Amino acid sequence: MYLDRLVTRQFEGRRWTLPAQVFAAPLELYTGLALSAAQLEQELQRLHYRRAERPERLGTYRVQGARFDVALRPARFADETRNAQLLSILAGSQGLESLRDSAGHDVPVLRLEPLLIGSIFPIHGEDRIIVTPQEVPSLLPAALKAVEDRKFDSHHGVDPVAMLRALWVDLRARQIEQGGSTLTQQLVRSYFLSSRQTLSRKVREAIMAMALDAHFTKADLMNAYINEIFLGQDGDRAIHGFGLASQFYFGKPLAELDLSEVALLVAVVRGPSYYDPRRHPERAHLRRDLVLKIMADQGIVTAREASAAAHEALGVTGRPAGAYYPAYLDFVRRTLRRDYHDQDLTEAGLRIYTSLEPRAQEQAEQALDRELTRLDRQRRQAQQPLEGAVVVTSPQSGDVIAIVGGRNVGYDGFDRALDAHRSMGSLVKPFIYLTALESGHYNAATVVQDEPVDVKLANDKHWRPENFTHQTYGPVPVVRALAESLNLATVGVGLAVGVPTIAQTLQRFGLSQSPAQVPAMLLGALDVTPLEATQLFNGLANGGFHNPLRAVRAVISTDGKPLKAFPLEVTQVASPEVVYQLDRMLVQVMERGTGRPARALLPANLVVAGKSGTSSEFRDSWFAGFSGSHLAVVWVGYDDNEPTGFTGSAGALPVWAHVIAGLGTDSWDAPMPDNLADVQIEYPTGLRVVPGCADDIVAVAVPADAALPSKPGCGFPDNANPLTTILDRAQRWLRGRAH
Amino acid sequence: MHIRLLTLVIIAAGFSACATQGPLPPGAPPSGAPPSGTAQPEPQIPGQALPAPPERPAPGAPRQFHIGPAASSLVTQARTQAGAGEFGPAAATLERALRIEPGNPLLWIELGRVRLAENNAAQADAMGRKALALATGDAGAQAAAWHLIADSLRARGRDPEAAEAEGRAGTLAPR
Repeated sequence: MYLDRLVTRQFEGRRWTLPAQVFAAPLELYTGLALSAAQLEQELQRLHYRRAERPERLGTYRVQGARFDVALRPARFADETRNAQLLSILAGSQGLESLRDSAGHDVPVLRLEPLLIGSIFPIHGEDRIIVTPQEVPSLLPAALKAVEDRKFDSHHGVDPVAMLRALWVDLRARQIEQGGSTLTQQLVRSYFLSSRQTLSRKVREAIMAMALDAHFTKADLMNAYINEIFLGQDGDRAIHGFGLASQFYFGKPLAELDLSEVALLVAVVRGPSYYDPRRHPERAHLRRDLVLKIMADQGIVTAREASAAAHEALGVTGRPAGAYYPAYLDFVRRTLRRDYHDQDLTEAGLRIYTSLEPRAQEQAEQALDRELTRLDRQRRQAQQPLEGAVVVTSPQSGDVIAIVGGRNVGYDGFDRALDAHRSMGSLVKPFIYLTALESGHYNAATVVQDEPVDVKLANDKHWRPENFTHQTYGPVPVVRALAESLNLATVGVGLAVGVPTIAQTLQRFGLSQSPAQVPAMLLGALDVTPLEATQLFNGLANGGFHNPLRAVRAVISTDGKPLKAFPLEVTQVASPEVVYQLDRMLVQVMERGTGRPARALLPANLVVAGKSGTSSEFRDSWFAGFSGSHLAVVWVGYDDNEPTGFTGSAGALPVWAHVIAGLGTDSWDAPMPDNLADVQIEYPTGLRVVPGCADDIVAVAVPADAALPSKPGCGFPDNANPLTTILDRAQRWLRGRAH
Repeated sequence: MHIRLLTLVIIAAGFSACATQGPLPPGAPPSGAPPSGTAQPEPQIPGQALPAPPERPAPGAPRQFHIGPAASSLVTQARTQAGAGEFGPAAATLERALRIEPGNPLLWIELGRVRLAENNAAQADAMGRKALALATGDAGAQAAAWHLIADSLRARGRDPEAAEAEGRAGTLAPR
């Protein structure tokens, strides 16, 4: 009686704990999108669309020349749903040329469904995707009954004959094995009991199964079974239910499984570890074929269909779907923890829409691993492998599109992008020069002194920083001091504008900590995580506008209600004029300075801006840089903070360059504010010149009213006023005559 | 005075005529890339010639922003949503448009208008300023950005600043 009440009440009020599902950003397709036919096909395959002769089934596509006919699955986005539909895409050499629906009408813009990238489940917890009976292919319940419980439709929860038969087998084997249990008993065991098998437990299980059978319909029990049963293990994550198992093994929705795939899942029921199709493909294969044979014998499919299915490969995806991107999911989890309890995330079935772009993420992962492997080879005596982290954003929106937390990307461990607090080194310099530009006393051409610095500290000790080369360079223009990352010149500028003012600049750009206001801060004695460094540089890449970096765009409840949105927010933290001047200097870092080695790895005409960073004794190698549409920050170092021997240019820069080159990004091309002027100066001296009158010329942006000393005997035209140009030339000519 | 000036001009003109192979170059500095008539992002084709080192439109070089067809359809959708008081969904739709054309000031203004409609004047102001920074060379877009800034200042009771912003809009493109 007690068991009856317990079973009925618990089962009636059943609510599977539903881990939040996390989705990547959906790919927006539109005419003009720079996506090649090969890339389009990759994107479709990432979503497990299959090439077919005719795109009749959802999740298939046909390719005819440059034309793709895609049978799109229905999709749920954060803000709307889209029905299944047929879409014809013309992929030309310049990108997508047209999108048309089945009636031949132009489709201006359309999103592919978002890729499921993981779920937030409790530690050692159950993960599942609930399916409704309509989403279950009819073959599945038929196959389950045929293989596991032929009398399911007629028995009362237990099958005494099958039990006795199993008991006989167990007695002969002198141990208790699985078998003889009805689907209802298996459901009871999974739902109410631990998996430990004793005789008394078996009795309990049988009584509870009969109770369930008495109170619920067979259809209800079958649906419960399909959503409940354990079908695999992925690290800490237990794969429950056929909905998730379908994604886990085949990367596609349950409704799209064909006969051989359904048979494989039914085969796995009997022993998810023993018949693991990834670890034991032969066993799984044999059992799948047995399932197919039983299905044919029972008349569920024809012998011919079964035999055709038995000839198919297992069709299991290479690595399990979901949990691909632990570092990114880590950031998602931390973002949500501010608003949600752990239980909401692991049980309430939330749908979480993120900014992750799988293509960018994979590029970043590959670039980091490949380059670190190469760098490790350069350092033969190294006793430990180099580590690294990469963060990529779309600067104008603050969307974080990729995070790599270390080399072992599948490993959900120490997330360096979020947790490695490392000395930022010369990454601080742009913020020193930005503060200097804001003071009104400096521009890119201003000559500053690169000379020995001696600062007496509060503790009576002296701080005597040095240049990387241990040389001094004397008078240099600001653009060169930044491009070549000259320490002494920068410290001089920093001391002149004031350490507290620079600290304020950093905080304006999003530094959450209040940095220790010591002179060494001017050389980057300030610990930041790669993500924090990204936040700071995002403001530079976004023309002086700060956006909080965001991984999560929206959270939707299990029944489709919007619960929380993280809308695009911008705050102006510096004037566009000042940031433009600085960004133009950061372009010169790439053209002339410490970023130059990247040129060989980037498309020849791609304009990018960036800054290297190297902390003391080469413990940290950084590079932060941006194009018109992407910002990437790379950190390379050892976990135990041992010196690496790599500067930012040698360690992080090649990783960065490969990340940027792989993104297919646009040139940095911010519009120059009206009150600035584009001028040419001599790189070594900062004197204004015109092309042809000096060997080493660099173009910088300065305030239009800035009075720049020009190189003697070297004129420059003033485009704005022809008369003053002529007068100026004449004056210089006259002066030239007087000499 | 005038005579001396005239003399200088004549001398200068004569000099620049005979100095083309000397230290003084002829003509104006490179005027930069042609003004782009549309903010529609060009497909990135590897190896395609882009100016390097960067040369950009001369300050003040006029141009006019347009919204491409993809973003345009989203703007239409967002206006319908905003018209129905669905500001959250309207903003989300405009964010989609901005992902397609992040550098288009017209879209930032559109989003700022939605923010203003839902009484988020601070964000409306910030988006107006973001649009303004992007709108260099497009007087119409600059004026629209100033109007947005003015409206968002007024919504916060900062009337004198609003009037000033309105004045700047007026000098760019009289309404």
